[in-house]
Amino acid sequence: MAEELIYLYCIREKSKNPSFSTKGIDGKGEVFNLPYRELEVVVSKVFSDEFGSEEIQKKAQEDLSWIKEKALAHEKVIEEAMRKDDEVLSLIPMRFGTIFKERRTLEETVNKDYSKIKEILDRIQGKQEWSVKVYLKDREKLEQVIKEKNEAIKEKEKEIASLPEGMAFFMEEELKEVICKETDRELKNIVDVLFEGLKKKTADSIRNKILEKELTGRSEPMVLNAAYLIAEEKIEDFKKEIENLNQKMQTEGFCLEYGGPWPAYNFTSY
Amino acid sequence: MNMVGPGLLIISHHIKIMINKNDNVTLVDALDKVLEKGAVINGDIMIRVADVDLVYLGLRLILTSISKAEELSGKNFSNPDKEFTPDDIEYIEKLQREIRRAEENIPKLIDLGSPQKTEQGLAQLVLTLVELIRKLMEKEAFRRVKRGTLSKAEIQKLGLSLKAVKKKIKEVQAIFGIEDEELNLDLGPLGNLM
Repeated sequence: MAEELIYLYCIREKSKNPSFSTKGIDGKGEVFNLPYRELEVVVSKVFSDEFGSEEIQKKAQEDLSWIKEKALAHEKVIEEAMRKDDEVLSLIPMRFGTIFKERRTLEETVNKDYSKIKEILDRIQGKQEWSVKVYLKDREKLEQVIKEKNEAIKEKEKEIASLPEGMAFFMEEELKEVICKETDRELKNIVDVLFEGLKKKTADSIRNKILEKELTGRSEPMVLNAAYLIAEEKIEDFKKEIENLNQKMQTEGFCLEYGGPWPAYNFTSY
Repeated sequence: MNMVGPGLLIISHHIKIMINKNDNVTLVDALDKVLEKGAVINGDIMIRVADVDLVYLGLRLILTSISKAEELSGKNFSNPDKEFTPDDIEYIEKLQREIRRAEENIPKLIDLGSPQKTEQGLAQLVLTLVELIRKLMEKEAFRRVKRGTLSKAEIQKLGLSLKAVKKKIKEVQAIFGIEDEELNLDLGPLGNLM
């Protein structure tokens, strides 16, 4: 007989939003609120034959498509919990796979951490998480920009042009390496300045690790993966700034993208 | 489509710069955030996705450079004052023709569009090894040129040979539709081959 468990998605401020249209992570169970003092704990029932400790470890290691599907279902519930009409509610998203054996232990945990949870919700109140990703779409373009600014490189190119092809080869290769290093240096600089510049108008920020091409599924490399916590009234400005920067930086081979509002995954850990 | 919030928002706000609106990107975002971040509260059961270890292929290469061998044997095969011989000139011209031909071929081949996928895997592996050897040769050539023991004719020949091999590899890449960065092997804990 499969045992009943409680899957925890997120904890949010009181919402007057009692019902969910999204199904739970198992695709069957209803998602519902457990009210707790000034909070709502968003959960659904799952069963031990799929979400028991051993079953879940096994699936997590053997079945990547299962994780994909379930992680998306997890996110989908949180997305619904976060929105009320056009409003975005303060909410602490839980990491995938947080499961309690019974309601009592969940309530004990929330009770124990109550002041911490309230503190985080107050901190992110009226703010939204937005992601900013920067890709280097055209490295040659950036190299060109750097070459044009660098007299030493231009000088070297002239010298190479006057040599016979075979001899020029060695200098060309050497110069390519110099340009490559110079581009890497400049690239790091540009990205640092960009991240710090955007940070100024935000409440909090974090630079996450760069995602590999295998993960992004894009041919151009990611050069910045940042998240910002932004006050609601400043979001339009923030978006405009990125759009302007994108316009400007396109000529140097960059592509800026933003997305949001996300559940505040990056600013709610405790 | 209405699965992932940011996707929805992109459409409703007509944010033009979000070029990739496909689900793939948001899926990655979602996975990255849901699995890696978010608050950790003490549940009774926690899925530990990070436990999934990847099994890597281990490979070691032992390579001895000619330069090292030359130093050890105390021999030096070159003479800086040697002039171009008729054979040298013929060889140089042949290489130059090869380079031009390959250069002309590359854009044509790229225009052809669909490369044969079936042979691509093998071609990629073979070409990766050729590229490795080419890079080693090139490094070796650089050391010799720097040492100043080669004649102008030899440098010219060496440079053209290396350039010809490089162009030839590019040409084969174009035939099989292999990108530059695909000419590599992931050796797991040892990092990338090149």
